[in-house]
Amino acid sequence: MTNSSLRPSAASSPLDELVGMARTHRIATGRRAGDAVVLDNLAKTYPDGTEAVRGISFHVAAGESFGILGPNGAGKSTTIGMLGTLVRPTGGQASVAGFDVVAEAIDVRRRIGFAMQQTGVDEFATPAELMVLQGRLHGLGRREARGRAELLLQAMGLEGEAGRRIAKLSGGTRRRIDLAASLMHLPPVLFLDEPTEGLDPRSRGALWDTLDRLRGQLGVTLVLTTHYMDEGDRLCDRIAIIDRGTVVAEGAPAALKASVGGNASLEDVYLHYTGRTFEDTRRAA
Amino acid sequence: MTPTAQALLLAQRALVQFPRNPILLGFSVMPVLMMYLVFGGLFAGVAELPGFPTDNYFEYLAPTAILLATVPGIGNAGVALAADFETGYFHKLLTTPTSVAAVMLGRLLGDCLRLVVQAVLVLLLAIALGADVATGVPGALLMIVMGTLLGIVTFGALTANLAIRTRDAAAVQAIQPMAFLLIFLTSAYQSTDHIDSAVLRTIIDLNPAEHVLRPMRELMLSGYDWGDIGIGFLVIAALGVLMLPITARNYRSAYS
Repeated sequence: MTNSSLRPSAASSPLDELVGMARTHRIATGRRAGDAVVLDNLAKTYPDGTEAVRGISFHVAAGESFGILGPNGAGKSTTIGMLGTLVRPTGGQASVAGFDVVAEAIDVRRRIGFAMQQTGVDEFATPAELMVLQGRLHGLGRREARGRAELLLQAMGLEGEAGRRIAKLSGGTRRRIDLAASLMHLPPVLFLDEPTEGLDPRSRGALWDTLDRLRGQLGVTLVLTTHYMDEGDRLCDRIAIIDRGTVVAEGAPAALKASVGGNASLEDVYLHYTGRTFEDTRRAA
Repeated sequence: MTPTAQALLLAQRALVQFPRNPILLGFSVMPVLMMYLVFGGLFAGVAELPGFPTDNYFEYLAPTAILLATVPGIGNAGVALAADFETGYFHKLLTTPTSVAAVMLGRLLGDCLRLVVQAVLVLLLAIALGADVATGVPGALLMIVMGTLLGIVTFGALTANLAIRTRDAAAVQAIQPMAFLLIFLTSAYQSTDHIDSAVLRTIIDLNPAEHVLRPMRELMLSGYDWGDIGIGFLVIAALGVLMLPITARNYRSAYS
């Protein structure tokens, strides 16, 4: 690999460089084209008897942006945790990029990026160090990892923070660093668990724009959980509304709203399918 | 990338962390050196007892000080793992093609290198206080290796497992005094020939740490006793084998 393929050139933006890399270096998307994520009656009961997820089924096409919406405690994080191989299912099956999340967990991990609700960063490291380590653990060479970290930090507008200790950075900046680290191996599938939780409106808007660009230009399949209805509306091609561990409605936001009537919002959709307001469920949880 | 290469990368991460956490470095080095100086000065007269293996108590105490550096010191690996759980970084690592084993081993390896430096400092202080390593540099290195390995298979494994089970740095830290018990119930400060209590002598004989400390002391005071050295490594290996199934069982609890 030449040095020019590792460093941003003056003629192109960091994201353009990354798009080029994604075309030539990205790990094979998976075993088959089409569905990037498939859940078939997936269930999780924790050892204390809590049934967090009770047989969920849906699929996400490659390149699609799919949202799992629901109040706190609905089973969203458990579902995305199972897809990201961090939570072991107790029933049903799921595959990511054609690989089973239990039997072929390592193959799944090679193809996913995962930004968790709790920002997973090493506070003693700098963003650049964190990202290089993340890349190296995915098998990138040192030079390649450094080049890619540089590009991603630029693409996220974080180049000024590259050498600062993460402990000294704000929550919003940490979240963007976590997201950037999740992209180091240019994964075809990106899981985001409550990506804008705790962010102020401005930071939320900035992150939404970043996700739009990543998806549009890198062709990443996006699966995200959120309890913000506006986020689901803004970012997702399709959503699944989840309540008490089951999917109560699934479809494009516009179609779901139309199914309820006139000027319905996603909150109205939730009320229609569960008989409770979103706020009531959130308070009960 | 092989699990070994992953573990080495994570060990490197641990090594980068240490200088950025001067409190950890200071509080893991200073107490050992202080204890060595205080106990060495306080019990210096013990070396005058008839039949005591040396006339310089600091010489007798040096292997104990190495264990005091390595056994409780490795507990930091468990605390750091638990801290990674608390910050969410442990699970971030598990979303890469990295195994729980590599994450644990990487942390232990990084801390081992820190402990080797601490053990060298102890020996340098001992030499400054007039002690002499009978087996020279090779024997000193062997002492450090034995002390570090004992730390890994006992307290290192224990705290790493506890970190995975509790995910709570404070809980892991709370068991650190147990490491001192493991060391104090040996011939750490007094040769067994000079201990009157038969019960205490039996407890010391049953303590695996004693069978590692004894050859270490021989390396310091007299020379190579390959029989005792072999027993020391056998004890370390046995403890390692004992901890393996416990650790393997706990791997699974890293995932929900």
